Amino acid sequence: MQRTKGYPEALDKKLADTRLFEDERHPDFTKTVEEISMTIPHMCYQCGTCTASCPSAPRSSYRIRKFVRRALLGLEDESLTDPDLWLCTTCYSCTDRCPRDIAPTDVIMAMRNLAARRDIIPVNFLKTVQAIYTTGHGVPNNDVNRAARKKLGLNPEPPTTHGFPQYVKGIQYILDYFGLKDRADRIVKEREG
Amino acid sequence: MHEYAFFLGCIAPNRYPGAESASYKTSEKLGIKLLDLEGGSCCPAPGAFGSIDLNIWYAMAARNLVLAEQMKKDIALICNGCYKSIWEVNHKLKKHKELREGVNEVLKGVDMEFKGTIDVWHLAELFYDPKICGLQKIRDSVTVPLEGTRIAVHYGCHLMKPKKERHFGSTEHPYWIEEMVAALGAEPVEYRNKMLCCGAGGGVRGYDLVHSIDITNEKMINLKEVKADALTEVCPFCQLQFDRGQIEIEEKFGVKYGLPVLHYCELLGLAQGMSPQELALDLHAVSCEPFLEKVL
Repeated sequence: MQRTKGYPEALDKKLADTRLFEDERHPDFTKTVEEISMTIPHMCYQCGTCTASCPSAPRSSYRIRKFVRRALLGLEDESLTDPDLWLCTTCYSCTDRCPRDIAPTDVIMAMRNLAARRDIIPVNFLKTVQAIYTTGHGVPNNDVNRAARKKLGLNPEPPTTHGFPQYVKGIQYILDYFGLKDRADRIVKEREG
Repeated sequence: MHEYAFFLGCIAPNRYPGAESASYKTSEKLGIKLLDLEGGSCCPAPGAFGSIDLNIWYAMAARNLVLAEQMKKDIALICNGCYKSIWEVNHKLKKHKELREGVNEVLKGVDMEFKGTIDVWHLAELFYDPKICGLQKIRDSVTVPLEGTRIAVHYGCHLMKPKKERHFGSTEHPYWIEEMVAALGAEPVEYRNKMLCCGAGGGVRGYDLVHSIDITNEKMINLKEVKADALTEVCPFCQLQFDRGQIEIEEKFGVKYGLPVLHYCELLGLAQGMSPQELALDLHAVSCEPFLEKVL
C-alpha cells in the first residue's frame, strides 16, 4: 500500500523510497541483532566499503550496507522479508575491511536467525538439516564414491557417522532438543507438498 | 611423529576420497600421523546451520570437538568450512562462559561435556609451520617435482577470514600457500582479485545456483588471463564449486575452461610420487589429463 505524507501525488511517489515511518521501526530488533551477532551495527557511518567488497553485490540487488542501516533503524519486516538476505556467501571480506570494526557478515547471520524463527528460510537449508538428521552428513556417501574408496584401499564407509552409525543417535538428540527436525519437516512439506 | 585426530567432514570423504587418501599418505611422510576420529559428523555446515540458529551450530560442532577431547588429541582437518565450524566454535566456547554452559546443558543429554582441552588446526597450516613440518621438509619429500607447471592458488574464505578472530595476519594478499606450491617445484602464479570467494558459501550454492556460479565464473575469467595449468585450494567445498562448477558454467553460460582443480594434498601426493589412480583423479568432473601430461 502506498503511504502518503499529504504531498502532491507526483512528489509522494518520488519520495516513497526515502521515507521512514516511525511505526515500522522496532528498537528491540536493533538490540536483538546486536546481541546475537556480538557486533555493533550502530557504529556504522555508511561509507559503503562493505558493499564495495561484496562478491554478491555486482550481480544482484543485495546491498550489505543497506542491511546494516536497516539493523540500526530497527526495520525488522523490511530486513527479514527481503530475499536478498540469503545472497551473502559469508566470505567476510566486508568484515575484514570495515573501518568501524563492525562485522556486517555477522549482522546478516543474526538476521537470518531471526528470519528462521518466523519460518522465513529457503528450503535448501532445511534439506541439509534433514540429511544430517538421517546420516550425520550434509553431503552423504553414494555408490560411485564407495567403489572409488574401495579402489583406493580405504574403507567404503569413512570412519565418521557413516562407518559408526551408532553415533547418529547423539546428533538426532541434539537436533530434537531444539525441535529442528520437526520444524524442517513441517516447512519443507508446506512448501513442496 | 605428531599425532592428530583427523576430522574428515563431508565432501572430502564422500566426493573427493583421493584428497582424504592423499592426506593420510602425504602427512605420514612429513611426520604427521592422522588418526581416525570415530563418529565425526558434518561439522555442521556453517552457512546452513549458522543461518538457522547459531546455538544449534555451536552444540553440533561441540559434539565433534568432544569426540577429539575424549581421544586427548588436537584436531587436524582439510576443509575451510570445517575450520570455520570446528575452530571457531572451539574458540568461542573457550572464551565465553555462558555459551559454554548453554552448550553443555544440551550435551548433557548425550553424556558429553565440552571442556576446552584441545586445539584445532588446518593441515595446510601444520605443513607450513616449521615447528611441525615446514617448507624444507616438504621440499625434501618431493620425488616428482612439478617443474614447468604454472599453478594458481585459491585460499578460500573461512580459513583466514575474519582476520580479527584468526591468526594468519592480513587477508588482502597472503602468499604462504604459494610458497608451499613453489616447494613442490611448480611455479605459483598470481591473478586478479585472488581473495575473491568461490561463490559456494553461506548456502548460496543451494539457494541460487546461477548467482553462485557467476561468482565462480569471474574467478575463472581471472584465472584464464594468467594461463594457469591448474588451480589448487585447501577446501573440498571450494574444490567442488570450481570442479563441478565449471560443468555448470558450461551448461548455463556456454563457456568452457577445462582448468584442473586439485586439493593441495592431492598436489603434494603427485609430487611425492603417488599415481593419479591412487588419488582418484578420475572422479574429478574436469579432466586432470592436460596437467598430468606436463607433470608425469
